[in-house]
Amino acid sequence: MTVAAIRLALVLALVLAWEGAARFSNPLLSAPPSVVLPALVRVLTLDSYPELPRHLLVTAREIAIAYAMAVLAGLAIGFALGLYRTLGRAYGPILAALYAVPAVVWYPSLMLFFGLDSSSKIAFGFLLGFFPITLAVLAGIRQVSPQLVTVARAFGATPLTTFVKVMVPAMMFTLVGGLRTGLALTVIGVIVGEILGSRQGIGSLINHAYGLLRTADYVALVLVTLVLIVASDALASLVEHRAQRWSE
Amino acid sequence: MRVRALQVVSIVALVAAWEAAARLGWVDAAFVPAPSAVVHALGTIGDRALGGLGDTLAKTAIAYAIAVVLGVSLGIVVGSVRVLRDVLNPFVIAAYGIPKILILPWIILLTGFGTTPAILYGTLHATFPIMLLVIGGVRDVDRTLITVARAYGASTWQLYWKVILPAVVPSMLAGMRLGIVFCLLGVLVVEMFAGVRGMGAVMGALANGFKAPELFAATALVSAASIAIVLSLDWLNDRLSHWRDQ
Repeated sequence: MTVAAIRLALVLALVLAWEGAARFSNPLLSAPPSVVLPALVRVLTLDSYPELPRHLLVTAREIAIAYAMAVLAGLAIGFALGLYRTLGRAYGPILAALYAVPAVVWYPSLMLFFGLDSSSKIAFGFLLGFFPITLAVLAGIRQVSPQLVTVARAFGATPLTTFVKVMVPAMMFTLVGGLRTGLALTVIGVIVGEILGSRQGIGSLINHAYGLLRTADYVALVLVTLVLIVASDALASLVEHRAQRWSE
Repeated sequence: MRVRALQVVSIVALVAAWEAAARLGWVDAAFVPAPSAVVHALGTIGDRALGGLGDTLAKTAIAYAIAVVLGVSLGIVVGSVRVLRDVLNPFVIAAYGIPKILILPWIILLTGFGTTPAILYGTLHATFPIMLLVIGGVRDVDRTLITVARAYGASTWQLYWKVILPAVVPSMLAGMRLGIVFCLLGVLVVEMFAGVRGMGAVMGALANGFKAPELFAATALVSAASIAIVLSLDWLNDRLSHWRDQ
């Protein structure tokens, strides 16, 4: 209770400090909350950016496609490398080395190859989401106790049954954690891609507002984006807890 | 042995297939240049790319140094004071998790184009993961160690310096390994978004100029540099945590 109260007080103090600091600085560079709030209302009532829903749909579509691809590829490659030990020992280290490269390094090449439209954002979101999912599958497979698998096989379970009934439940905890991280990173990838250069999507609106020094609109659009990101993560966390409770 | 052979064979096969695809016109060489063209480009962009890389790495080093000092000291303070930890932990997690690119335009507005925003943004990227792991490390320090140190009359200074700091070294190193990749990423993003110098700016210019072989060469160069940095940190990590196993 007190912790929540202190947090609330902290947030309020930050908002007040922001208001105070922004009032005394260049209005082009900083927008106090009292200016952002009306701008936020105009954004939400589609007054200042009537095209907002369409741009949000573009971004949502990019995220959905990129995430679906990342999940499919991540599961397929993760299980292939985890279940076939030679493959895993050969390609696992290569994958880990590539993961040590800051992903944004690939973005200019993707933009050159796929152009400024959705495809380059989807490709980048896919790339960011793919790694944590693959690595979570690999980590999950290592956690499955070999005895469980041996016993299941000894009692006559087919490889498929062993996989579905023994392996997947045993690694569920790690797996859904990886899927959630993958979603967060896919979202970041798509938004980074849009801000680095795009003609559609929420990132292009943010860039537009910033480019025209419409700082209040820029902050309002960032707030809208943040709410959507937090909402998607909350949804993912709900699914994560469900899946983890089911596996116990 | 078999594993090594498989690695070599598949990389060679991949490069050969790629070269063949580019030579035979299966893929447009303007977008997917042949490996031989990329190697050639590595020679032609040499000086410019190395200069850009040096610039980027210098900014990264400064940002990283600031982030390590901030992350470790704030992490120890927040981790060891119960109220601070309870109140601030969700904020630190949020600051770590949200896409910081959203505030990049504002950082550029405030600090202009050039070195300052790159260092600031790189620091911002690396501080929170380090801080988060150090907070966790301090929280998990064995209570018995602290009680015993207190019972034997250790001063607060001795408690932090001789008990808590050594105990958080593993999580600190894990945070630093995570942080360096984020730090380099932050610097590169700023250079791509609003850079006038550095590897990100060079790559952005090459992409906009449709110079695919040069772009691929630059990408390979940055990737190699960052893999080398992470591997040397891993090596350092092994050396520093050697004594723990014994």
